[in-house]
Amino acid sequence: MIAIVDYGMGNLASVLKAVKSLKKEAMITSDKKEIQDASLIILPGVGSFEQGMKNLKERGFIELLNEEVLQKKKPFLGICLGMQLMMERGTEPVECKGLGWIKGKVATIENSHLPVPHLGWNKTYQFGEGNKEDTISNNFYFIHSFHVLPEEEVKCTYVDYEFTMVASIQKENIFATQFHPEKSQEAGLSLLKTYIDSHA
Amino acid sequence: MTFNGISLVKTKQFASSRTVGNPIQVARVYNSRNVDELVFIDIKATEQNRKINLLLVKKVIDECFMPVTIGGGIQTFEDINDLLHIGADKVLIKTIALEDPDFIVKAVKYFGSQCISIAVDVIFENGEYWIHQKNDEKLLMDNFIKKMNACNVGEFVVNAVHNDGMMSGYDLGLYEKVTQLTSKPIVAIGGAGTPSHFTELISTNYNGALAAASIYHFTQYTPQEVKKTLNKAQIPVRI
Repeated sequence: MIAIVDYGMGNLASVLKAVKSLKKEAMITSDKKEIQDASLIILPGVGSFEQGMKNLKERGFIELLNEEVLQKKKPFLGICLGMQLMMERGTEPVECKGLGWIKGKVATIENSHLPVPHLGWNKTYQFGEGNKEDTISNNFYFIHSFHVLPEEEVKCTYVDYEFTMVASIQKENIFATQFHPEKSQEAGLSLLKTYIDSHA
Repeated sequence: MTFNGISLVKTKQFASSRTVGNPIQVARVYNSRNVDELVFIDIKATEQNRKINLLLVKKVIDECFMPVTIGGGIQTFEDINDLLHIGADKVLIKTIALEDPDFIVKAVKYFGSQCISIAVDVIFENGEYWIHQKNDEKLLMDNFIKKMNACNVGEFVVNAVHNDGMMSGYDLGLYEKVTQLTSKPIVAIGGAGTPSHFTELISTNYNGALAAASIYHFTQYTPQEVKKTLNKAQIPVRI
């Protein structure tokens, strides 16, 4: 069973719909026991970083997620705000502490002449030894005004928006995307399927 | 997709609406045609002083594995919450933005700017662009966009009412002007009748999104064919 964590930050129905379309068992839940029993935890969410952390704290989810994800190494998928909350600190709307699973911060998109929020479809790629062109993905749907700036070595994919932003992060049992796989048609559903098939 | 509370309709210059089908079926078709985004508006909700039909909107959204923007009759935080809760990515707001900009400021703070889109319905009269309003009040488009910019909204959906349903091309001058007025994302709608109309607008310095309705309802062109035309013209699109 996949647990989609309900902490009052929206966008859960679309995630559930996408996971179910892949014939996977999933539920939206704010029940600690159900989250503990789940084979994979998905933390979606849109909105403000500060409100997101506040909601996690009020529901006692910070300790729970630390235990399940950091200690028990349960597979974890963060989407959009769910990815940003993994960082040490956020700035939306004021500087505040995040879950701290990844060293680094969340900052406003400001070094681009392109419109903010970054809305729409974009391709991701990786830096590495090979040719960047060979790592270019399909288009995924992005909708965000903030982006993560990791300060440790983690496996990332990137998206160009006049400058380079992190599009996804992989670290041990943690995988997180800035884009919305559940809103990215075939490309997104296939990414979700691959992740779930190999982890849950 | 414009909806009148009962069925999908397509207007001409915001009048003489013609029925074009069932929204759920049409959403299913657009999803299978792999469109980039769907905007669904109940154009009668405000006028008839009623809420949008959440049950129906949910069924529309359930057909979609792409982003969806929903508009019509939004007046409270609860309305926005209800729509986001059933899977809307953005809400499209007009009337309350004109009446109470302070509501928009609060909504942006609470929900985040990325999900607050503003409908800018524009008419061209006496050499100026004005906001199309039921009460015939005169408000310059420039002033409205500047005000909404200051509220830090997420997006402007700019509809040329004079071109609505006419299928004779986008109002190029309008989007040139809007581009100068805001650095927010813009969606252009109103006038597309052939794939070349899309190429025509995007070949100007307009850098936003291209939306259309009539061309998909009334001609043989599908969104995919429009994208192929754009792609041939070296314009990056998702195919």
